[in-house]
Amino acid sequence: MKSVLEVDGLTKSYPGASRPAAADVSFKMAEGSALGLVGESGSGKSTTARMIAGLEKPDKGWVVLGGRQIDGLSRRAMQRVRRDMQVVFQDPYSSLNPRMNVEQLVGEGLLVHSIETDRAARRREVERLLGLVGLGHVDLGAYPRSFSGGQRQRLAIARALAVRPKLLICDEPVSSLDVSVQAQVLNLLRDLQSELGLSILFIAHDLAVVRYLCDQVVVMSDGRVVEKGSREQVYGDPQHEYTRDLLAAVPVPDPSHSRRSVTEEK
Amino acid sequence: MSTSVATRKRRRIPLVDRIALIICGLVLAIAVIGPWIAPHDPYAVNLSQRLLGPGPEHWLGTDINGRDVLSRILTGARTTLLATAVVLAVTVVIGVVVGTLAAVGGRVVDEIIMRITDVGLAVPSIVLALGFAVALGPGIGSAIIAVSVSWWPGYVRLIRTVVRETMQSEFVESAVALGVGRRRLILRHVLPNSLDILYVQVTLDVAAVMLVISGLSFIGVGAQVPSAEWGAMIAAAADNVTSGWWALVFPGLAIAITAIAFSLVGDWLRVLRDPTLKQEN
Ligand SMILES: Nc1ncnc2c1ncn2[C@@H]1O[C@H](COP(=O)(O)OP(=O)(O)OP(=O)(O)O)[C@@H](O)[C@H]1O
Ligand SMILES: [Mg+2]
Repeated sequence: MKSVLEVDGLTKSYPGASRPAAADVSFKMAEGSALGLVGESGSGKSTTARMIAGLEKPDKGWVVLGGRQIDGLSRRAMQRVRRDMQVVFQDPYSSLNPRMNVEQLVGEGLLVHSIETDRAARRREVERLLGLVGLGHVDLGAYPRSFSGGQRQRLAIARALAVRPKLLICDEPVSSLDVSVQAQVLNLLRDLQSELGLSILFIAHDLAVVRYLCDQVVVMSDGRVVEKGSREQVYGDPQHEYTRDLLAAVPVPDPSHSRRSVTEEK
Repeated sequence: MSTSVATRKRRRIPLVDRIALIICGLVLAIAVIGPWIAPHDPYAVNLSQRLLGPGPEHWLGTDINGRDVLSRILTGARTTLLATAVVLAVTVVIGVVVGTLAAVGGRVVDEIIMRITDVGLAVPSIVLALGFAVALGPGIGSAIIAVSVSWWPGYVRLIRTVVRETMQSEFVESAVALGVGRRRLILRHVLPNSLDILYVQVTLDVAAVMLVISGLSFIGVGAQVPSAEWGAMIAAAADNVTSGWWALVFPGLAIAITAIAFSLVGDWLRVLRDPTLKQEN
């Protein structure tokens, strides 16, 4: 099976910290799969994601995206690579430029990667993308402040998907949202994954969420990978003490109950 | 909910600030149309009319040369405010360009720029003005150059600080992750979210720059007689203050009222921008 992402030995220490934020993190992601990266707060999930996304330089290790090593690329080269790899951030209240409207936000990727340089065509594509994330009705001239958290996260997803990435990295994309909205956004991601054949690296501290969305699971603790395997392996027969504790600590609601409400949030 | 309360509060402008706003508007209007509404020729010397007290013909009296003080104040508003505007425009542009460069240009560039601003801040504008007055000859132009040279480092530092702060925000990182290039990142994402502070700072600085410009004219290195610049008027009237206080006091009041009004509006804008400051005031 072809892998969309391979990371090997990723290590990062911040100055002054007693232990590395991430140490020797390695895993592979098959094309079209969804991999869940779980662990409690401070376990190094975001650090790992930021190194993969080229937002942080690893001390050691490498990142291979679609067969090409991308760590250590020049800024320009990395900029082009970003077309294949997009990020959805945790907090949609701070990750959208407040001075850009819907059309500019969602269309920016099309513009900067020269995918759609014609304004009218770009606008049509923006409308299509908004439809895709269940925001077909919104005003293209509206600014982020007029949207709810769930709607903003949909905007962020549409913005990321505009360039048709192979890999979407979602760093706790629902943890700052109302519980009632979380399931809608998760369902959206799940639908998009199957519709677009997208690979998703999904970061969460909530095992239930990962179980719902991901076929592969990587568990991190104190900057290290302590367990990795298929969903069935990790949930059915956890090998590591830490994973068992995590599983025991989490009540497991089933987001599929609210499955029909994907596009209902207005 | 809390935002709607905030917006409602914002709409009701406090009385003092409303008066200050009106005064600022008036002063700006006078700067534009002053020469046309002046009742007398501000430069016409009439020795038979010298040092007349305030009265029905000359509301604010006449100066030592028999010129109408009111007409001179109305006309001089333009000189004082235009000089202030030029200084602020120049220093803001330098501040934005150089400050942004310092914030995003890397350690070495930042270090060099900061050292230069240190020097700029260390030399008082009065000293600079005296220097320029000697080199270029006294005049409003020398005053403008001198004040600009001593004023730009403040804006460079302000912009550098805000741009650095904005660079840390998540939407900037999100734009980098999208693949936005350096230029666009700064022009479309960082600067539009950094420059708001200028409204506040510029309004506050109108008062300060105006005082320095007038001060330079007063000590004789700025605008020269017979200019109706407010500081120069005070300087010219200082010799006869006992026999004609009005020629000194009214331009002084014009300076004071304008400076206070702009400071108040600046403070009001600052609180608007950051409502948490309200409690402190
Ligand atoms: N920029 C930074 N400078 C210094 N230390 C950092 C920085 N970013 C993260 N750390 C530290 O690195 C460790 C791992 O942080 P990281 O954000 O990767 O954890 P996380 O698993 O994403 O946690 P959370 O669930 O809270 O998001 C933490 O101890 C954190 O304090
Ligand atoms: Mg994190």
